[in-house]
Formats: sequence, structure tokens, C-alpha cells
Amino acid sequence: MLSFIKRHQVILASVILCLVSLHLVSTTRKGTGGDVIVRSVLSVVTKPVQSALIGIRSKVVGVWNGYIYLVGLSEENEGLRRTINQLVEENNRLKEELGLNARLKELLRFKDKTPVKTVAAEILGFSSFGPGGEWMRTLAINKGSGDGIKAGMPVVTPQGIVGRIVETNRFTSTVLLLTDPRSNIDVIIQRTRVKGVVEGDGSGGLILKYVRQLDDVIPGDRVVTAGLSTIFPKGLLVGEVVSVDKGEDNFFKRIELRPAADFRRLEEVLIVTGGGISMKQGKMEGTGAHEPFGRESGRKRRKPL
Amino acid sequence: MKNFLIFLPVTILYLSFKSTIAPGLPLPDITVLAVLFMAYERSSVEGVVLSFVLGYVEDVFNGGIIGTTAFSLVFIYAAVHLISRRVHFSNPSVRAALAGTLTLTKGILIWILLSLTDLDVPFLPRMLLAATVTGLFAPVFIAFFTWLKAVKITGVAGGGQR
Repeated sequence: MLSFIKRHQVILASVILCLVSLHLVSTTRKGTGGDVIVRSVLSVVTKPVQSALIGIRSKVVGVWNGYIYLVGLSEENEGLRRTINQLVEENNRLKEELGLNARLKELLRFKDKTPVKTVAAEILGFSSFGPGGEWMRTLAINKGSGDGIKAGMPVVTPQGIVGRIVETNRFTSTVLLLTDPRSNIDVIIQRTRVKGVVEGDGSGGLILKYVRQLDDVIPGDRVVTAGLSTIFPKGLLVGEVVSVDKGEDNFFKRIELRPAADFRRLEEVLIVTGGGISMKQGKMEGTGAHEPFGRESGRKRRKPL
Repeated sequence: MKNFLIFLPVTILYLSFKSTIAPGLPLPDITVLAVLFMAYERSSVEGVVLSFVLGYVEDVFNGGIIGTTAFSLVFIYAAVHLISRRVHFSNPSVRAALAGTLTLTKGILIWILLSLTDLDVPFLPRMLLAATVTGLFAPVFIAFFTWLKAVKITGVAGGGQR
């Protein structure tokens, strides 16, 4: 018996750990889940690495934009080149400042306009799950529980909804993007007030579900949050309808949306910290507790594993 | 223990790099290459545990469903352990083909697990791209891992002599 175990120890260990993994999958399938300690340790270890890498990237991009293209000019005049390089460097810096200024101004305008309490945060990095794919997308931001951030808080930009906080550590938080298949939001078509549920399609887009064949929806319609649940305030832009098909079941339409927020160009976001707030025609209403890992809508329940 | 000291930091660095410098770009799957390297070089229970840990860290870091990558990496380790009894991976082209196939296997396993948890995810063609990129870079990374391990062994031996 002992010799058998010794001879096949690798396979036996593999089988045991495969079973442990399957158990973990079945217990954490609803959210990002996971061990809080592991997450905290990873967050502490990776935050400086990520910040350093972002710094390196900015420097490389700066050098590339500021110097590489100007190599030819150095042959004409060394002094002139130095001046030009300085000016280009300054110009790049100013452009960067200008861009940052414009983005922050836009965030501030949005913040002032929105009657909920918000906290601004910078994005540390994007994480995608699935080999080479975009099945599940989360992003890390530089604000955590130390800044009053809690799981379940909505994350927005002036362009529209980004997602919601699913995990917080002391210094960082994880945001589940709108396009993640685990994300569900109650929405309303702005033009016709038809209600539905938006889910991520796992490839960077959105799907609007539970809209009947007789409901009036056309490409170009804007979709906003319905504010029926406790997570997202009412009236925030979610996306725009890009295609409307008959669907497979002849009862509900198949509607594809383009997210309003451009996730590839995100650099700063706002976290709505009001806590269980919904906006109705400019007023705020407290609506109870958050639902950090659960679905925003209770219309559809996932079947157990 | 040596493998832990090498592959855990390498994986964390790789995941940080992927999330900051190159989000969305098809990069070689370092965890698959690390598991492949460990399994064919000298398979052991430590290697199985490390495969599980690397998968777990990847799941936690990427915000995926915990256990999916861990499962696929442990499965891959066991598969390579069994295959390596019959096939030798000394040829770089064989390593490249195997790495590509294993990346595809990892993707398919994760996809199956996600489908079982009732999450609709498309079977993306990008999975094939990731497998190709991993296959192409496999000989380079395996040579790098071999070098890294040799450096470590020399360092330990040197320390012992003193």
C-alpha cells in the first residue's frame, strides 16, 4: 500500500488538488471570492510593482514621443536639438498635464452635477481572466477600505457606469467591470421606458435581456440604470443599443449594447460612496444594504453547480 | 522550495506586467510554461502543490472564479507527468507544440468549468492566439527557466562551500 502511494504520489496529489480546486470553484462561483488574506498580501506585494511599472511605461512613452522622433534634428544643430528636446519634453509634460486637467475637470463637473457622494480614484491595472481572452475583466484602483471604500459601491465616469467594487483591501480595491458576465444591472430604455437587465457578454460587450418582442427598441437607443436595486443610482448611462435581433425563443429580443464608458481609455474613476443611494429626478433616497457579490437584479438565479 | 522561490515571484511579476504595461495584448502564458517546465524536468508532489498555488494566485490576481485556473494547472501538471514517461521534450519544436497544446487545454478546461457554473462565456478565437504565442515563446522561456534554476543551484552550492 505504502509503495503504491509512493509510486503514484504525483498523480494522487494531483487528484486531491483537482478536487480541492473544484470545491473552490463551486463555493466561490458567484463572485470573485477568494481568501481575503491572500488578496491582501497580493495587493501589498503587487501595488508597488504595478506603480513602478506604470511609471516605467510613462517614461518610455515620454522618451519615445519626446526623443526618438527627433534624432534627425540633432545632426543639424546640437544646441538647437537640446532646446527642441527640452521644449518637446516640456510640451509633452504640459500636454499630459492638460489632459489630466481636462479629465479631472470633467470628473469634477460630473461630481458636482451628481447628487451623491463620490471619491476619485486612479486605475492601477486591468486584469483579464481566461487565456488570451476577455471572459472576465476586473480592474485595480488605488483606493481601499482605508479611504472608506466598501464592496458593492458603484464605480462611474462622466461617460457612464464602469462597474462595482467587489473586493477591498486597505490600499486598493477590485472593480468588477460592467462587461463581466457576472455583472447584472436593472436598466431602462431612455426613449421608451422599457425595462430590462444588462449583462456582460464575456467579450467586451453587453447584452440587454428580458425585453419582449413587442417592446419598442431600436439601434441608437440610450440605456440608463433603472435604480430598482440598492447598488446603482437611477439615470446613469449604461450604453447604447447597437443591434436588435428577434432572439432564439421568439419571446424575448436579443439586444446588443455598446458600453458608454470606454474601458480602454480609463485612467481615473469615481466611486459612489453615498451608500445604498438611488437618485430619482435629482433627489436621493436611501435604499438599504449593498449586495456585493450577488446579482443586482433578482430576476434570474443561477443554478447550483 | 527552490521552485517556489523562482516561479512564484516570476508569476507575480508577470501578472503585474500584464495588468499594467500590456493589458489586452496576447502574451505567452508563463504559468503554463512554468508548470510544463517543472513537470518534465522532475515531477514531484512539490511541483503539484506549486502548480495549484500558481493557479490560485492567478485566479485571485485576475479576479476570476477561484479554483478554475488552479484546477487546470494541476491537471496540466499531471498530464505532462504522465506524457513525459513516454515522450522526451528535448527538441524545441516539440516543446513549442506541447506548450501551445497545453495553453489550449488550460483555456478549454476553464471554459468548461465556467460553463458548469452557468456563466455564458464565448469560446474565443483569442484562445488560439494565446496558444500560438505561448508555443512560439516556449523555447525561449524554458531556456530562461533552466538558466534561472542553474544560477540558483550554483549560488546554493557556492554558499555551501564557504
